[in-house]
Amino acid sequence: MEVIVKATGLKKYYGEGEALVKALDGVDLEIERGKFTAIVGTSGSGKSTLLNMLGGLDVPSEGSVRIGNQELSKLSAEQATIFRRKQIGFIFQNYNLVPVLTVWENIIFPISLDNRKPDKKFIMKIVKLLGLENKLDSFPTQLSGGQQQRVAIARALSTKPSIILADEPTGNLDSGTSDDVVSLLKMTSSQFHQTIVMITHNPEIAACADRVIRIEDGRLAYVSANICD
Amino acid sequence: MFQPISVISKRTFCKNKGRNLVAVTAIVLTTLMFTTLFVLSRSIDKNIVEMTFRQTGYDTQVSFKSITAEQADRIASHPEVAEVGNSLVAGLVEDTRVAGRQVEVRWADESYAAHSFALPVTGRMPRSMDEIALDTIVLDRLGVAHELGAQVTFQWMADFVSKELITSTFTLCGFWEGNESGYASMAWVGEEFAEAAVESAGRANPEEMIGLRMAQVSLYSDSDIEGTMERILSELRMDGLEYAVNLAYSPEMNRMAMQESLPMYVGMVLVFLAGYLIIYNIFQISVTADIQFYGKLKTLGATKRQLKKLIYGQAWRLCVIGIPLGLILGYVLGVVLVPVLISFRTGNASASPVIFIGATVFAVLTVLVSCMRPAKMAAKVSPMEALRYSDVEDGGRRRKKRQGSASLTALAWSNLGRNRKRTVIIICSLVLGLTLMSCFYAKNVSFDMEKYLAGLTVADYQIDEITNEAYMTGYEPQGDSLDEQLVGLVESIDGLEETGHLYSHETEIVLDGQTVENIREFYTGERLDAWAAYDPSGVESMKKALENKKASSVVYGIDGIPLDVYSEEAYWENGSFDEALFATGGYVLAIGPGMEPGIQKQSMPTVSVGDSVTIEGREYTVMAVLNNLQPVTEGATEGGPQDTFYLNFIMPAETFRECWPDNTLRKLYFNVEDGKIEEAQEKLDAYFGETGLTLPVTSRQSMARQYERETRAGAVMGNAISVVVALVGILNFANSMVTSIIARKKEFAMIQSVGMTKSQLCKLLVTEGLAYAGLTLIVTYALSTLAVGVGVRAMVEGGFSTFRFTLLPLVLCTPVLVGIAILVPYLCFRNIEKDSLVERLRWSD
Repeated sequence: MEVIVKATGLKKYYGEGEALVKALDGVDLEIERGKFTAIVGTSGSGKSTLLNMLGGLDVPSEGSVRIGNQELSKLSAEQATIFRRKQIGFIFQNYNLVPVLTVWENIIFPISLDNRKPDKKFIMKIVKLLGLENKLDSFPTQLSGGQQQRVAIARALSTKPSIILADEPTGNLDSGTSDDVVSLLKMTSSQFHQTIVMITHNPEIAACADRVIRIEDGRLAYVSANICD
Repeated sequence: MFQPISVISKRTFCKNKGRNLVAVTAIVLTTLMFTTLFVLSRSIDKNIVEMTFRQTGYDTQVSFKSITAEQADRIASHPEVAEVGNSLVAGLVEDTRVAGRQVEVRWADESYAAHSFALPVTGRMPRSMDEIALDTIVLDRLGVAHELGAQVTFQWMADFVSKELITSTFTLCGFWEGNESGYASMAWVGEEFAEAAVESAGRANPEEMIGLRMAQVSLYSDSDIEGTMERILSELRMDGLEYAVNLAYSPEMNRMAMQESLPMYVGMVLVFLAGYLIIYNIFQISVTADIQFYGKLKTLGATKRQLKKLIYGQAWRLCVIGIPLGLILGYVLGVVLVPVLISFRTGNASASPVIFIGATVFAVLTVLVSCMRPAKMAAKVSPMEALRYSDVEDGGRRRKKRQGSASLTALAWSNLGRNRKRTVIIICSLVLGLTLMSCFYAKNVSFDMEKYLAGLTVADYQIDEITNEAYMTGYEPQGDSLDEQLVGLVESIDGLEETGHLYSHETEIVLDGQTVENIREFYTGERLDAWAAYDPSGVESMKKALENKKASSVVYGIDGIPLDVYSEEAYWENGSFDEALFATGGYVLAIGPGMEPGIQKQSMPTVSVGDSVTIEGREYTVMAVLNNLQPVTEGATEGGPQDTFYLNFIMPAETFRECWPDNTLRKLYFNVEDGKIEEAQEKLDAYFGETGLTLPVTSRQSMARQYERETRAGAVMGNAISVVVALVGILNFANSMVTSIIARKKEFAMIQSVGMTKSQLCKLLVTEGLAYAGLTLIVTYALSTLAVGVGVRAMVEGGFSTFRFTLLPLVLCTPVLVGIAILVPYLCFRNIEKDSLVERLRWSD
């Protein structure tokens, strides 16, 4: 299998002296194309830091991240931003929708920032799969949490990124909605052959992943392959 | 195509109505001031040039005083010459009805007339022998109706040697609005008529003006007029032909216009500064408040450039609303102010596109410069930092925590210190306006009208003989316009306090050795150079006088008011004045050159005190040398302009009348009781109305009024700028208070949740406001004291001012500022208290 993400010796330290915090302390990781990876761990274990490093949002103190053939540390901040909007789809716990844009505008936002024309047919297919076709002209505040997160999923998929990074996408949702959102995420990503890395607290969701990575105190605790029912 | 940045820009703009209102108000005020300042400075430039055109009498770049028709034609054919106007002087009107006004009988072509502001507006230029075109001033004086075809009869003179008067009658074929500030009026006659007149008179004296053919030349370019003319003349082989460059085109004119507009430029800098302080602050606050939003956009892939575009997009939107509004209001204000502020007769507002372009450019520049740093800040946001941003500056130099003290006051102070940069900006903004206000006020109240008037008038009223200021034709010492009847009338005025009289006689005196030495010593070095720079012929005539040991002299005979003024020591340059001794008739007072009083006493360039001078056979001793007092000496010499050097003397009126009994009264001075001034004015007006004779009257009242008119521009503009800057400062202050409280809504909920009571929170907010006001006031009082005490004191020194230290506007503003500092936080507190604690705790963007 092709390796799409490769992290080597990732370290992230904050502060100094007695206040030194080792958020990540030497993580090596490979993620294969088309796989659904779940990252689990307790609060403050370094899950979010790892995800932010993988997405180029944060800069590691040591080590490197390669996505496809691109070494992220070799990019300037500006180049990293452009790389991110082309190659990485983000899904956040608080959805991060732009409140002044409609659902449709939010979905095509990263493509438009890149001055590209959205592939309408492709995006409409995603929209239909996510059941958003009647909400395209609504604003985020008019939607429920689950609907908002579906918009975020559509936005992440719309750019056909190399990888989708999801940071507790169901953290703000009730359990029923959570199940819906996760199954939709799984369904769409397998349909569009997407690679997903997702942080979750929910063991059921983790159980559905192709692989589970557990992080403790900034280190990989174990990596296991799963077979979802 | 979907343009995400402009869509976001547009929609967030619509969401932030309150913030935009403040920003638009700031931009409107800034643009308004820029526009008004531009209108004023352009109008001042334009009016100065126009006034000079009117005074010189023409608006082309070059004029020839004496040229042949053939030379004029050749110049007209040169490619660098746009237009040549020709004129032939036939004579001067010598008619009692136009006494005091020079009216030149001339032929001119249309170009010459047009460029002399004397082209008939009604009718046309004369063609036949008996046609004439005149301005309304002359028509009114002659008592001729403003009607084409009217018969005009007057006496005129074509020959200055024989002084023969000719009476001619013409038919009016054209007229135009006369120009009072011009040196003369034109009476245009037909070419044939003028040529015949010149021929019959013959030209006895080549220096004489009559018979001269003149030309006015318009060039295509205004730059290097002298160089261009030299080139044209040498190419046409007419080198040495004398020409004059219009004063209005001289570089001095530009410098003068520049000087007049200088306060406007200073004003623009201040407006820019005030605008920057508030607009920068508004953007800084709004970017800080929205920093997480920008972080979010960055996470989703918005680049630095796109984020900057977002901020600038907001700025442009604000400009599009604020600037046109500011332009309109500013222009209206300018148009209203110009006639009030500009004292010239021709004062009208310029509507040049330069004003609007200039004001727009300046306003846009202010806005763009103001959002440069906030835009950079938004662009630089790191997606990670955005998530943990709070309204605190970065930077390690935080002071050591105070021990143990968590009082409300201490908390309020530390809240001010949380964003020190913003605190400094708000304080600067307020201090700027308030200090300016104090300075302008202090400067205005320091002006001393009495001091100013003392140099211009010595009496409540001064009436001059009609030829007193006839600079072209000269003063007539035996004129009869200031006659017994008028003097009698003045003496019968109710409430008359005292009077004074002035006679004058012009003669020649012989300079003795000491006098020659005095003059030579006085006019050396810098003083001589300065004189030579503006009046080279004056220096020449002085040198000639020293060589021949002969000078012209105006002898004044005075009594009453002007003599009393001279009894004040301030007016004595050398020696001292003893009134009783002076009255004996054996003494004269010498008049020194025009200098400001108060300059160190030194030996004056005239006869030494104690020496004697012989005036028309009688010997007098010089008692003292006095200042040149304008109300006494101002006026024309006899016989028109002459290049001679004058040494003038004063003797008692009684002695004067013994010597020259035929000379008539030249100036009459009188003082009236304060309450009777209006009455006296009415009496004079009635007299002039009855007799149809208008003599130059200078009244203290009218001088004071004129001064106010002339200086209103500076006063009003200065006050307007400082008030607007102060307003902007207050707006900035209120805006910052409000936004800083709203931004901390959640934080307040948090401290309330751990036990702060409502009244404690309210007290905290008000204390913060008062701390701001207190800091501002301390800085403002300190700075204003310094600016007024040192700056304004130095500025008004030597002028017509008596410095008075005052901070009155600041004292008046203090309660206002304190009131705002209490009211704004209180209202904000009421507003946030509307939501419940739990709601506020949960509150997020």
